[in-house]
Amino acid sequence: MEIGEEKIGDIVVLKLKGRLDASSAKAMKDKVNALTKENQKSLVVDMKGVDFIDSTGLGTLVACLRSVNKLGGDIKIASLQDQIRAILELTRLHHIFGIYNDGAAAVESFKG
Amino acid sequence: MGFKRIKLAIDSDLDQVFLVGVAVNKLCSISSFSLAESYNIELCVVEAITNSIKHSYRGEKGKEVVVILTLTEDHISIDVCDCGTAMDPDVLKNADLTYHNDKTYDIENIADCGRGIGIMKMIMDSVTYATGKEGNCLTLRKNIPPVE
Repeated sequence: MEIGEEKIGDIVVLKLKGRLDASSAKAMKDKVNALTKENQKSLVVDMKGVDFIDSTGLGTLVACLRSVNKLGGDIKIASLQDQIRAILELTRLHHIFGIYNDGAAAVESFKG
Repeated sequence: MGFKRIKLAIDSDLDQVFLVGVAVNKLCSISSFSLAESYNIELCVVEAITNSIKHSYRGEKGKEVVVILTLTEDHISIDVCDCGTAMDPDVLKNADLTYHNDKTYDIENIADCGRGIGIMKMIMDSVTYATGKEGNCLTLRKNIPPVE
């Protein structure tokens, strides 16, 4: 999985591409851990390029959200492909994340 | 038509799991499964293989995970087999996705892991597990939807 990064004001947008699974989840966790050490607490995870997620990937998103919440921050998720959205709904994790149609809307939500 | 069968084997390396997942997805999509169903079956197979590697082989590489896919007229059956430590049958029996989500959706009460078997049980028509001298096999079965 590739992880791109863009900063928009105080908000960091992580652009994921590929599969978020047991093989790649640690890279995602390490990335968010590095950002939280820099006190980055407003994150958007743009998943437009993610075409597969498994339970390890889901668990990693939960762990990342928990660590950012502890700083008083939040993670917003953007641009989910239909199958990924369906798995989030199946596991009911859509209740704990702010989910937006695109990265711009997710970034804008932090300004509200 | 009888049945069609393919046997795939990978090393117990998490970096190789996607190879079987992609193959299973393609095989499902050329049968009567929709794209969504093919994706979901791929997910279940990936979960089962990942469990074999993480739990049966305790993350050790150099072991083998064998996946046997059987396609019949009315269902697909996928055996995910390893020769590692057997799973406690109660893990399969008790797996329940609802257990992992607190109804208040408080992030502190939501588990990071343990959803894999629950996902399989939600998606597949049956999930069974057998262990013996030859090793351990988790069998996933999904009925093929009738053509309308």
